[in-house]
Amino acid sequence: MASRGVKPLPRGKPSGLPFHAHFTDVAARAGLRAPVIYGPPDRMDYILESMGCGVAFLDYDNDGWLDIFLLSGTRREGPVEGVTNRLYKNNRDGTFTDVTEKAGLVRQGWACGVTVGDYNNDGFEDLFLTGWPQNVLYRNNGDGTFTDVTKAAGLSHTGNRWGTGCTWVDYDRDGRLDLFVANYLVFDFDRIPPTGKNPSCNFKGVPVNCGPRGLAAERPILYHNNGDGTFTDVTDRAGISAAAPGFGLTAVAADLDGDGWQEIYVACDSTPSLLFHNRGNGTFTEEGLQTGLAVNEDGSEQAGMGIAIGDFDTDGRLDVLKTHFTEDTVALYRNVGRGGFEDVTRRAGLAVETRYVSWGAGITDLDNDGRPDLFWVTGSVFPEVERKHPEFPHKTPRVLFRNLGEGKFEELLDAAGPAIAEAHASRGVAFGDFDNDGDVDILIMNINEPPSLLRNDLNGGGHWLKVKLVGTESNFSAIGAVVVAGYGNRRQSQAVLASSGYLSCSDKRLHFGLGTASAADLEIQWPNGARETLKGVAADQLITVKEGAGVIARTRFKP
Amino acid sequence: MRRASAAAAVMLVLAGLCLAQAPRAGVEAHIGRGVKLMQDHLFEAAANEFEKALALDPAEPRARFQYAVCLITLGRNDEARRQFERVRKQAAESHESRELRYIAYYLGRLDLLASDYASAIKKLGSVAENPPYPDTAFYLGVACISAGDLASGTKWLERAAKLTPRDYRVHYRLARAYSSAGREQEADREYGLYTQFQNEHKNTEKDARACADALRTQPVAAAHEVCYHMFDPNEPEKLTLLGQLFGDAGAFTEALDPLKRATQLDPNSFDAWHNLGVTYFRLQRYGEARAPLEKAVALRPEFYGSVVLLGATLYMLGDDDDALPVLEHAHRLNPADAQTAAVLEKLRAGRQKK
Repeated sequence: MASRGVKPLPRGKPSGLPFHAHFTDVAARAGLRAPVIYGPPDRMDYILESMGCGVAFLDYDNDGWLDIFLLSGTRREGPVEGVTNRLYKNNRDGTFTDVTEKAGLVRQGWACGVTVGDYNNDGFEDLFLTGWPQNVLYRNNGDGTFTDVTKAAGLSHTGNRWGTGCTWVDYDRDGRLDLFVANYLVFDFDRIPPTGKNPSCNFKGVPVNCGPRGLAAERPILYHNNGDGTFTDVTDRAGISAAAPGFGLTAVAADLDGDGWQEIYVACDSTPSLLFHNRGNGTFTEEGLQTGLAVNEDGSEQAGMGIAIGDFDTDGRLDVLKTHFTEDTVALYRNVGRGGFEDVTRRAGLAVETRYVSWGAGITDLDNDGRPDLFWVTGSVFPEVERKHPEFPHKTPRVLFRNLGEGKFEELLDAAGPAIAEAHASRGVAFGDFDNDGDVDILIMNINEPPSLLRNDLNGGGHWLKVKLVGTESNFSAIGAVVVAGYGNRRQSQAVLASSGYLSCSDKRLHFGLGTASAADLEIQWPNGARETLKGVAADQLITVKEGAGVIARTRFKP
Repeated sequence: MRRASAAAAVMLVLAGLCLAQAPRAGVEAHIGRGVKLMQDHLFEAAANEFEKALALDPAEPRARFQYAVCLITLGRNDEARRQFERVRKQAAESHESRELRYIAYYLGRLDLLASDYASAIKKLGSVAENPPYPDTAFYLGVACISAGDLASGTKWLERAAKLTPRDYRVHYRLARAYSSAGREQEADREYGLYTQFQNEHKNTEKDARACADALRTQPVAAAHEVCYHMFDPNEPEKLTLLGQLFGDAGAFTEALDPLKRATQLDPNSFDAWHNLGVTYFRLQRYGEARAPLEKAVALRPEFYGSVVLLGATLYMLGDDDDALPVLEHAHRLNPADAQTAAVLEKLRAGRQKK
C-alpha cells in the first residue's frame, strides 16, 4: 500500500438537494453480534493481520431471502475460542440465526475472499473461500449443509499461498463456472521483516508492518471446471501467467467490452492493476494499460483494494470504480466503448475525498432516483500511526457520493443517516436487499468488531425493479450475464457478478432504481451470448427470468 | 525540488555576503527558511514562514508567490488562486512579464484541477511558446484533451515528449491520445516508453529513498555505499539527483563526481550545471564554481538563482568588474531582493572610489 500524497480538491457548494436514503446500523438488533477477529485488537504487526476479509449476501437455501456469510481471521498466537466463518440464515423478520455449525461451515483461519456461485449447476449456490495458507471450496448439499470438497475438486495446493480475490467465471462459455483466484504476496510469519525494518515498513515516521513493497508479488491462477466436480489449473494455457506478477486483491469478472465474453479485472496494490481480456478462444491477454484500467490518468499505479462495477452515467456501458490508499483518490473509470476506459475521477468530483484507506465499494442506486451512487468503506492498516498522527485515525467513516447526474457526484457527509459517519476499520462490503423492501442495504466487515448491517430506510417514492436471472444453457447462477434497463431517457447496465466490493459478494438479484419511471425495458445478454428482450416491465417488483423461458415469477414485496 | 534547492542556496549565500538591513532581515530570513523547508518538502511549515514574511511586508512578491506554490502543494487551491491573483496584480502593475508567465502557468494548472479547461487552455497557451517550466506543454495537452480537442492535445503532448522525454506521464497520456485516435502503432510505442520510464522512475525513487535515509541515519562514508546504487554512469538525471541528495546532506565533496558525470552526459542539463556550481561554491572552490554557473546561466539566463550565485562567485573571486553586470542582471530579475541590492551598492561604491 502506498500513499501518493494527493491532497483533496476543494469541495464545491452543496447542492442542497434532498437525499432519500437513510442508513441505520441494525447489526446487533439483527443478531449479528459476534466480532470478526482479525489479528490482535490494538496493533497490526503483519500485513496479513491488516488486510481483513470479505462478506457475502447469498440465498443458500433458495427461500427468496438473503442470508449472510461472514469470513473471519484468527490470531497468530493460536486459535481464538468461538471464532469461525459464520453463516447466518435470514429469519425474514429483520433478524438472522447463526447456522454455521448446522451447515458444516465451522472453520477458523485467515480467510480473505469469497465468491458465491453454483459451480455444479444443481440449483444451489456454492462457496469458494480464499485465505492464507489454503483456499476452500464448499459444495452446497441443498439441504442446508455444505461439504468441504477442496481436495476432491483438485483445488488444494502444496505449500502456503495467500489467496485473496476470487471469482466464478464461465470464461469459455461452456455453461460451467470456472474459477479465478488472485494471490497477494508470498507470506510467511517467520520470514516477513519485522515492523519498521526498512523504509517500506514506515509510515509518517512511525514503524509499521512491512509490505507489500519489498515483498514478493504473486501471480493469479485460473481453474477450468471439468464438469465432474473437479477443476484443472489452466493458468499457463489460458495466458494468465504471461502477465507480470502483482499484489492482487479483489478480482471481478464481467463483460466490460460488450463482446459477450467476460473479462477479469484484478485490483492490484501498488502495482498496475490487471485486465485480462477474454479473447473468446479460451485464452486471455493482459491489457490493463491499453484499456486504461491499470493506472490512473497520469500513469501512476495506485494501491488497488476494492472494485465496483456499474453504470454510473447510465449510458448502457459498465464502468469501474477502484479504491485506494489514504492521501490518494479512488479511481472512477468511465467506459468509453471499444474496450476503452477514461479516468474521470477528478471531473466527477471525487477528488475532494482523499483522507481514508478505502476498501469495499459499490456503484449502486441507494436512493432509487435512477442514478447509481457510489459508496465505499474505509479503515486504516496502521493503528499505531494514530497515536503520533491523530489525523490518520485507525477507524474511519463510510463514504457516500450521491449521483447528481451529468457525470458529477457530491459527497454526503451527514445527510444519509447515522451509520455513514460511524467510524470502523472496515474492509469487505456487500450490497443487497436483506429485508426485501425494494432498496439496497449494505453489509460491512469491521476488523475485530461485529459487522455492520446498514438498513436502508428509503422514502421519496422512487420506483425500482429487481431482476433475478436463472441460467439453463448458461450457468445456473447466470454469473456473467448483463442486463441493460431502459427507463426514462436512461439505459443502465448491470452485470451479475460473483465477486465485487473488496473480496466480497453481493446480492445477485440486480436492483435498478428507476426514479419516476413506472416501467423499464430490459435487454438481457446471457453468459453464453444469447440475448433476450423484455418490454415494458412494470416497476416495484422482482422478476425472475429463466434463460429461454422469459419471466417465470413476479414477486411484489410486502410494504 | 531542484528549483527550491537552488533558491535556498542563493539565499544562504547572500545572507553571508550582505549587511542585513533591519526591516528586511526578518522578511529575508523567513523567505530563506521557507525555501529551505520547501526543499525538504515541508510545505505546511514553509507556508507558515512565507506567511510570516508577508505579515512583515505584505508587498513582498517572492514570499507571496512561494506561499501560493506551497498552497497548491497542500491542496488549498482556492487560497492559492487568491494569492496568485494578488501577485499577478502586483506584477502587472510593475510590468513584470517574466513573473506573469510563471503566474499564468500556476493559474492554468489550478484551472485544470478545477476542470475549467477553457481557462486552463487560455492561460497555459499564453505561455506555451516560451514556457516557464518544461511541463507547461504537458498540462496544456491534458487541458486540450479534457476539453475534447484531441488533435491539439496530442500536438502539445508531442511537444511535451520532446521537452521532457523521460516524464512517464507524458508518454502515458500520449499513448491514450493516440489510442483514442486509432493510431495503435504509435500508442504501442508510447506505452513502451511509458513502461520504461515508469520503471526507471520507481527504481530511482526507491534508491533515492534509501540514499536519503542512509544519509540521515549513518555517517557519510557508510551512506556512500548505499547511495552509490544510484550511480548509473549513463543516466544524467539519476546522477544529478544523487549529487543533489549528497548536497542536501552537506556531503559536497561526494556530490561532485555524480554531478560532473551528469554534465558530461548531458551538457544541456541546466540542473546538473547549476547544482555542480552550487556544490563548488559551498566547498568555497570559487574558481571551479564559475564555469558551471556560467553554463547554467547560459542555459537559463532568466533563472535568478543561477545568476545571483554566479554574481556572488565572481564577487568572491574578487572579479568585481565581471560581478557587477551579473548582479545587476540578478537585481533586474528580482528587484525585491535587498541583499543583492546591498552587494551591488557596495560594488558601485568601490568602483566610485577607484
